[in-house]
Amino acid sequence: MEHSSLAGRIFRGVALSLILIFFMFPIVWIFLMSFQNNDQILRIPPRILFEPTLANYEALISGQLRTAAGNLQISFMRNLFNSVVLSSAAVLLALLLGVPAAYAFARFKFRLGETIAFTLLSFRFAPPLLVLLPLSLYYQELGLNDTYFGIVWVYQLIALPLILWIVRGYFEDISPDIEHAYRLAGHSWREAFTRIAVPLAGPGIAAAGLLSFIFCWNNFVFALILASADKQPVTVGALAFVTASGIQYGQIAAAIVLSVTPTLLLALYAQRYLVEGLSLGAVKG
Amino acid sequence: MARLEINSVSKAFGAARPADGLSLAVEPGEIVAVFGPSGSGKTVLLRMIAGMFEPDDGDITVGGRSVVGAPPERRGIGMAFQNFALFPHMTARDNIASGLRAGGNEVASRVAAISKLLKIEHVLGHTPRELSNGQKQRTALARALIGNPDVLLLDDPLRNVDAKLRYEMRLELPNLLRRGTAAVLYVTQDYREAMAIADRIAVLIDGRLAQVATPADIYAQPASVAIARLFGDPTINLAEVSPVAEHGMLSAMVAGARMRVGAADGLASLGACWLGVRPEDLVVSSASADDAIPARILAITPMHEKAVLLLRLADGTEWLAALPPDAPQGAADDGVFVRFAPDAAMLFDRATGLRIGPSHRLKAA
Amino acid sequence: MDMLELRGIDKVYRSRGKPPVHAVRALDMAVEKGEIVALLGSSGCGKTSTLRMIAGFEDVSAGSIALGGRRIHELPPARRKVAMAFEGYSLYPPLTVRENIAFALKSAQLSRSEVTRRVEEIARLVEIEDILDGYPRAISGGQQQRVSLARALVRDADLYLLDEPMGQLEPQLRAVLRGRIKSLLAERGMTAIFVTHDQTEASALADRIAVMEGGVLQQFASEKELKGRPANLFVASFIGEPPMNLLDAEVTRSDGGFRLSVGTDMGFNIGGAGLDNAAAKALAGTPQVRIGIRPQKVAVGTGDVRVKVVSNQWLGDQSHVAGDCGGRMLIAVTPGRVAARPGDTIQFALEPHHLHIFGSDGSCIRHAEVS
Repeated sequence: MEHSSLAGRIFRGVALSLILIFFMFPIVWIFLMSFQNNDQILRIPPRILFEPTLANYEALISGQLRTAAGNLQISFMRNLFNSVVLSSAAVLLALLLGVPAAYAFARFKFRLGETIAFTLLSFRFAPPLLVLLPLSLYYQELGLNDTYFGIVWVYQLIALPLILWIVRGYFEDISPDIEHAYRLAGHSWREAFTRIAVPLAGPGIAAAGLLSFIFCWNNFVFALILASADKQPVTVGALAFVTASGIQYGQIAAAIVLSVTPTLLLALYAQRYLVEGLSLGAVKG
Repeated sequence: MARLEINSVSKAFGAARPADGLSLAVEPGEIVAVFGPSGSGKTVLLRMIAGMFEPDDGDITVGGRSVVGAPPERRGIGMAFQNFALFPHMTARDNIASGLRAGGNEVASRVAAISKLLKIEHVLGHTPRELSNGQKQRTALARALIGNPDVLLLDDPLRNVDAKLRYEMRLELPNLLRRGTAAVLYVTQDYREAMAIADRIAVLIDGRLAQVATPADIYAQPASVAIARLFGDPTINLAEVSPVAEHGMLSAMVAGARMRVGAADGLASLGACWLGVRPEDLVVSSASADDAIPARILAITPMHEKAVLLLRLADGTEWLAALPPDAPQGAADDGVFVRFAPDAAMLFDRATGLRIGPSHRLKAA
Repeated sequence: MDMLELRGIDKVYRSRGKPPVHAVRALDMAVEKGEIVALLGSSGCGKTSTLRMIAGFEDVSAGSIALGGRRIHELPPARRKVAMAFEGYSLYPPLTVRENIAFALKSAQLSRSEVTRRVEEIARLVEIEDILDGYPRAISGGQQQRVSLARALVRDADLYLLDEPMGQLEPQLRAVLRGRIKSLLAERGMTAIFVTHDQTEASALADRIAVMEGGVLQQFASEKELKGRPANLFVASFIGEPPMNLLDAEVTRSDGGFRLSVGTDMGFNIGGAGLDNAAAKALAGTPQVRIGIRPQKVAVGTGDVRVKVVSNQWLGDQSHVAGDCGGRMLIAVTPGRVAARPGDTIQFALEPHHLHIFGSDGSCIRHAEVS
């Protein structure tokens, strides 16, 4: 492999560029769209060069959407805030519940253990709508409809299984002898859990938390059905851009850019953990 | 000062019975090696004492008090693991100090003392990742020793260090372990390590203690053919014989030669037996004699400063002879004659495998 | 005739972002037909890289390899006529043990009965007859290693390459299998190279041992030669179990020869017949040397070196006695039992003619006189 020819290197470079362009194109295109008005976007043929405008971002931040049919109130910033609150709270709750559960599944064999773990995972298989319709009826009766808590709770369907399975793999990778050694040195199992197991599974827990944050952030249907306007996250809020006078592509693009940016930055920051976490703890010191 | 006592402990995992009525007592300050082939239940025994799982049956006491059911942290046990089990996110110093609950100056001075003893003072600030295997192993030992536990369990601690270090530790360990008054159980798969380190060896085969005795006794007087085969490198030579008495001596036909195999002690015959002769007890010469087994040298394999000859006896049996380095060895394919002294012969019952040597009546293990 | 010839072999591993690793440096080695050679060294010494270059799994960075007069270092592994047993066994899981071994004979186009005969013969040799119809996953690690050995040895090849061939064998079988394999190789005139980190295995099996360290061949000689006439301090301290006792000594002239003093506790007069010109010159030119003596050559209970016993371990066929002499540790190995307890003071005898002498740069000044 070390003596590759010049032709081989050129070929590899071209192939990599093609793959990069293929995957980056939608993101770059949307980024460009967010600086154009609807006319520029819908022009045929499309142009790479255009006069950029910040109007889309202005509209989003001020909450005033000017369309041909008149001014429209939108609450994009509110939606963004909701997304942050809902996703963070959901991940926090899932970590509090999921990490100890993952530890239990990794360390102890108990009756129905595997069944329970698999059932939790199977929530990810079911089409969300199937669950949602009956759920919304119950929620109405319980008064959980259109509450932050109700949505955070239903987000556990997304976050909990993910955290449970990723973190479990990490705990399984830690030699039980390390915890045994700590206990023999006179520490209780709680101390062994908090001082040994959790720090050692740290990268895995971070990765699992990050992934479930992204999945929660991107969720659409749960909030669409269970939340009204003032509790909606950005994903649902974006529907407001489909107006009577047409679809506001520019604002949608700007909204996408704004809503993708936090998760993208987070993912970039934690890239190393993410890769490690997704390889299920294959890297262990 | 506390005695470790294991009383008829049994443990089953499904069909496997890694512990089957084990009883063993270890005095304070004594080192007992638990030795046996892999899968014989050594590690299970250690883990039951440490409290990682509980016995199905029987009792384990430390200083007269039962520890069964107590959590590991309340058993007064120190342990060193085969894979070291160091805490990867702590420095060597913190690893060692984790064995002490009390805080303050005392911790620092005790860590300093134990690390000086184990010659790891210069790496105390390193994390396990930065330590060599030998240093990891010493750190793990320091962590097990620092709390002055009543019972010290060592699970094959030299398995993962290189040969040179292992040899050094073999010389050093007994003195280190005897410094305190802990009752020490030392698990190993290497019979030389067991003999070098232990006061007594407990031979564990298939979840049962086959023999508990001093190293010299086990080597010279193994209770069964299985034990005889576990001690000694090269392995003891065996032949199927049916000894009969003749002029007060037992003798047996081995590959066509009549060999004397011990005093008769009034017996007329012994029935079907295994004859066992250690390779270092064989004498190989080119001169024929009545009491010598004709053989051919198949190969010469030098080992531990000795010449080990693979011999094919007249009846096809393969035996090994370990000769001192200065003895004449001959060459591959030479015809030779093999002898051994009658008191070097061991006899084992063919059916039970138990030793029936007439001059050494078997003591029950 | 040389069967295998390695000439000026270099191996450099380059990976991006890391400094290149020079695994093997300027290795010259010739193996005769019918010879068994061990590549011995600790991990990372270059022995496995060398084996893999001969097998063809690694390219040589420089140099050439010839086998039976053919230049093979540019051929693919399958055309080099070498058989190999891998350290990780690499048995084919869907095939039975019998099929695994017979698979190696596929390209030889033998009759079915001949294949059966050969498989059963080699199976008897490594004691796997009763598991021939089992599958690899159902047998123990030691058995898998024996199958892997059988699969390599059953083939007809110009050269047999064995990577750590016996590391996992059951201890009770090891000595007898070494003997049988050595006898098989000798009987058929097979040429074999095996890699090992275990010097017991190397000295038991090999006719000659190549000691490697840091990618450099330190010495290539018989076991006797390595022990009696080590090329340098590394070989001297690496070969021998337990390792050679090494002490720092000061050199002073004494009538007609030299006196080597170890602290105030030990001193040796060297001179006269035991010293050739070159050695005398070297000693005259250095104030400090390292002296070495094999533990087996240290006599216990006699002599003028008084030591405090640190440990006295009886291993059934020999005693290992460690003694402290003014802060220096000396180890003696004797065949009998020694009546001494830790803390006792006893005598050790170190005869001057058993001493190896090394310069401060690790080069050998004088070997022990072979007794």
